[in-house]
Amino acid sequence: MFILNPHSAVPIYQQLIDQVRRLVAGGQLAPGAELPSVRDMAQQYTVHPMTISKAYSLLEAEGVLERQRGKPMRVAAQKRSHSTLAARLKQLEPQLEALALSARQLELTPDEVIAQLKKRLGDKS
Amino acid sequence: MTAAVSIRSLSKSFGSQAVLQNISTEVNPGDVVGVIGKNGAGKTTLLETLLGFSPPSSGNAAIFGEDCRSMSAATKARIGFVPQQDELLPTLTGKRQLTMTGSFYSNWDGALVNRLAQEWEVPLDRRASVLSGGERQKLSTLMALGNRPDLLVLDEPVASLDPLARRRFLQQLLEMAADESRAVIFSTHIVSDLERVANRIWLMKDGRLLWDGDLDALKSSVRRLHLFARRRLPLTLDFPGTISARQAVDGLSATVVVRDLDDARLQEASARLDARIESEGLGLEDIFLEIHG
Repeated sequence: MFILNPHSAVPIYQQLIDQVRRLVAGGQLAPGAELPSVRDMAQQYTVHPMTISKAYSLLEAEGVLERQRGKPMRVAAQKRSHSTLAARLKQLEPQLEALALSARQLELTPDEVIAQLKKRLGDKS
Repeated sequence: MTAAVSIRSLSKSFGSQAVLQNISTEVNPGDVVGVIGKNGAGKTTLLETLLGFSPPSSGNAAIFGEDCRSMSAATKARIGFVPQQDELLPTLTGKRQLTMTGSFYSNWDGALVNRLAQEWEVPLDRRASVLSGGERQKLSTLMALGNRPDLLVLDEPVASLDPLARRRFLQQLLEMAADESRAVIFSTHIVSDLERVANRIWLMKDGRLLWDGDLDALKSSVRRLHLFARRRLPLTLDFPGTISARQAVDGLSATVVVRDLDDARLQEASARLDARIESEGLGLEDIFLEIHG
């Protein structure tokens, strides 16, 4: 379900957090869905169990996941606050950074890039 | 909770050559510590000194609270060690080596050893002298795992294993670490394995611990900065925490690798140097190369 790349500059726990957040925001992981146990995840992806439990704990603190006694973590009922504009924009940040970098390397002006973006996003103005 | 390993101001010299210099650190149960460093950085000496094979020149190391120079038999029975050069007896079959090693321990887990021997495809009926390098390594690892050690120390355990065997071996290490009463320390050149399974890194250079801590924290603290200036950059860029710096001949671009540089400092530098600065995160292998660059 997840794609974890240990050699990336992004720490593994952070990769897991980002992916769970996106799957939850996108509805692929519905409230109530259970995640694999820390042990199973550690075995499956061959990563240290603390890496997985760190990601789970942070997601729990954020309200994305909830702990159940003696059972695996599950997706919490999502409050509206998780999909505030700011929160959703924050998720887009890495892609925006990458886009901005490429645009500068290609010496495109902001207006040119924005025009293309608008077209992709279906803005007719 | 007693630390599995506790090292205080440990130094070790061979004659006039200082091999370990003032190392202090701890290993707790549940930790998987990966030790990296170039050849000659002191990795093997550190592992062998803390296990009590030769005394420290100054400072001390303790395992489960007992000084490494005077460990009791009971504490030694809680340790598993896989040396870089295996110590297999050439004329004995794998089965005989394991039986003999097991006879020294009261808590030897023959069932575990047999299960792993099968999983790892170790031919137990052959004499050690005809085994391949990888098979020897697996056999000597089995000899260290049979007493279900609370502290497992491995010196270059995966060097001659193929990728499949390496993965199986790492899974076994993780299974041990998941049982949180155990600790593992292993040294390796294969940085990619460390990125997977280690939760802590000891980065050694010239007998010192250059980094001792969380792998994630190391990754987030080291950044590679690319500077693109509109006018010539000064010959020396005085970024705090610089690990390495390279500048283009025309003086208009530069690459600097820094540690712990905050955004405010970055923006200040960008304004002062009249340069655009792109900041890039690095994987462990790149960090390793930059530190030794």
